[in-house]
Amino acid sequence: MAGLLRRGAERYALIGVWGLMIAFYWAIEPADFGTSGTFKTIFGSQAALVFLSMALLCTIIVGEFVDLSVAAILGLCATIVPVLSVLHGMNVTLASIIAVAVGTSAGAINGILVVGVGVNIIVVTLGMSTLLLGIALAVSHLHIVSGLSDSYSKIALADVFGLPITFYYGIAIALVFAYVLGFTPLGRHMRFVGSNREVSRLAGIRVNRIRFGAFVMSGFLCGVGGVVIAAGLGGFDPSSSVTYLLPTFSAVFLGTAVVQPGRFNPIGTLAGVYFLATGILGLQELGYAGWISDVFYGAALIIAVTLSTVVRRVAAA
Amino acid sequence: MTVQPGEIHGLVGQNGSGKTTLVKLLSGYHAPDSGGEVQVDGAPVGLPVRPAELHRLGMSVVHQDLGLLDDFTVVENVRIGAFRRRRLTRSIRWDGERQLAREALQHLGHEIDPNARVRDLLPADRATVAIARALQHHHPGRGVIMFDESSRALPRDSLEHFHALIREVAGRGGSVLLVSHQLEEVLSVADRVTVLRDGIVVASGTPTSELDEHELIRLMLGYELDSRAPARAAVTRDGREPAARARGVCGRLVDGVTLEIGSSEIVGVTGLMGSGFEELPYLLGGAHPAQAGELTVGGRRIDLATACPRDLVDAGVALVPERRDAQGLSLSMSLLENVTLPRVRVHGSPGRLGFGWQREEADWVIRELGVRPPAPGMTVGNLSGGNQQKVMLGKWLRGDPRLLVLHEPTRAVDVAARRDLMSVIFRVATSGSGVLVAGMDANELQSMCDRVLIMRDGRIEEELRGAAVTVEGVVNAVYRNHSNGHAAVREGVA
Repeated sequence: MAGLLRRGAERYALIGVWGLMIAFYWAIEPADFGTSGTFKTIFGSQAALVFLSMALLCTIIVGEFVDLSVAAILGLCATIVPVLSVLHGMNVTLASIIAVAVGTSAGAINGILVVGVGVNIIVVTLGMSTLLLGIALAVSHLHIVSGLSDSYSKIALADVFGLPITFYYGIAIALVFAYVLGFTPLGRHMRFVGSNREVSRLAGIRVNRIRFGAFVMSGFLCGVGGVVIAAGLGGFDPSSSVTYLLPTFSAVFLGTAVVQPGRFNPIGTLAGVYFLATGILGLQELGYAGWISDVFYGAALIIAVTLSTVVRRVAAA
Repeated sequence: MTVQPGEIHGLVGQNGSGKTTLVKLLSGYHAPDSGGEVQVDGAPVGLPVRPAELHRLGMSVVHQDLGLLDDFTVVENVRIGAFRRRRLTRSIRWDGERQLAREALQHLGHEIDPNARVRDLLPADRATVAIARALQHHHPGRGVIMFDESSRALPRDSLEHFHALIREVAGRGGSVLLVSHQLEEVLSVADRVTVLRDGIVVASGTPTSELDEHELIRLMLGYELDSRAPARAAVTRDGREPAARARGVCGRLVDGVTLEIGSSEIVGVTGLMGSGFEELPYLLGGAHPAQAGELTVGGRRIDLATACPRDLVDAGVALVPERRDAQGLSLSMSLLENVTLPRVRVHGSPGRLGFGWQREEADWVIRELGVRPPAPGMTVGNLSGGNQQKVMLGKWLRGDPRLLVLHEPTRAVDVAARRDLMSVIFRVATSGSGVLVAGMDANELQSMCDRVLIMRDGRIEEELRGAAVTVEGVVNAVYRNHSNGHAAVREGVA
């Protein structure tokens, strides 16, 4: 029983800290923080981060630690939709399909270079990130392209039990992801490829196929995420995509402290996203603005990665 | 142990007895546990040894792998760490350096272009470069030079010169520590010998005049030959198809090996390091691509030059590698996850793993091999070495392999775990699988194998079978020199 309690405490410590954080903000800012509006903001406005962190999780689980291009892929896809449909008059559904195809292709190119050719992932994805950002700026002529129809925004903003439907997309993706990882041969293979490639290869796993597949899936999720974001905002500012990168990494690393300590996992990552959202929103309502997000996300990344390293060491001992 | 001035001191012992570790402690590569003491020329040396202090003391090492940087030139390799610089610009005086390197090489009786890239040199010249680097800091009459299996890379004709050279160093009052597997070399060149067994000195400075090869081997192995191997059920093999046939297998070291492993037969393969016996398991298991060769298992013919591990796994070949952490087990995953890994894609459907069979397999491994603690969910990295070894073996045994390929299956495992491992391997053999055991441990081979194949220079040179499979027989065959080896009787080896 004591062991069970101890394990529970380890697994859900982050949830406890989250609760403390909510209680703290609530105590000092009851008028602003303790409202359903706050609740809606925290859980309804994180679609980009949810899609990005799930995309990053794909490659991180198979042992590719730093895909720096996810945010830029999502940004390009989110830019393509309004550019094609508003500026070029294309059918919005077709534009969305093209955007998803572009995201998937970008992931596939990462995969070919990193897995097939064996180029260092930092170099490939850093270059890809800047390249795609540039392309997004070029196709949008350096402007924020907006004007997507209200009816189209339904795919992101439709109200379900008081929260936008994107929240449920995130839950669904995390649950499916968790199922694949925990309950299918593919997931078990992904875990082993991430843990020890040579052991996996000798057990008959097609290691490179799984690594490549992870990059493609990551690109696909960025593409879908981009379409949803564009629909929700009615357009997209291409230069804003880079700001998502740091919190994405923070959320994924925070996730290793929850549910399955020491392992990257989708449910934990989702908790990480909302943990960060709560923290930043509370600080903003306390009156800090502008610079605070840089300070908070920067510090959160360092703390999250440190925490992840320590938790993994403890879990291994 | 004490190495006298002016002496050539041999250091011998089985693989894993600690020879190289000792050399690495003395050269500052490893930090020793506290409590030891090292003195050179009467002066105590601070521990751990700082590499910078080595030059001053006149201590130098030629490591097993020579420690050369392939992409750099001869002069850079010889002079690294000792470059003389111009006073003002701190730039290297290359002319002087080249001259010094040339002198060091000429001293060894070799003309090697100082500007040549080490990658392009012949093996003998590479060894010369490494030895020249070690000798250049030598002050006549002082210090110690350690050779860790350095003569192995030298061809026969340079060996004479090398021996003359170290005799000259010793003749001028310097000391030489010669680590070697070639017992004949040690006996003929060294003045005295120290024997290590399991990290302990079992014979300290015995004069070579009082020793012969047989006595040296007895010291290396120790008296207590492990005769308590578990019982093995007798099986008749007559008329059964062989479990596996390998033909014309070539790799980096292996050079055309053809062998047949009968159903229920345990075949050992051994030799000196570098003879190819240590590569063979990985070629047959598909871990390293072979240059040529084919393997027939269970009616399937597999081309080893193009096969991937998956093909071999599917044909029923199970490879239990020596390096548990790198190739055998994923230490951050659980016992259950590791055990079931090779069969995850066979059991159940792509959409569902299924947990019953996994739990059942993990329990089977824990029960059959006696894994302690019996916790399927335990992270494998937290198990002891012997228990990790059991999990690694269990992972492959559970798949009922047709051919089980083992590399050093009981190395660094205590006696009790060794017995457990052996009895499980015996049971697998009894059930009809073929087993190939590659290893250096003559005790292990003797207590497990029906036949032992001895490899030399990538080829199978001798075969011991039946009553000939004894510890002495195996060790003698392994350490027998080439010249003697050719006179040996070779039985039925293609």
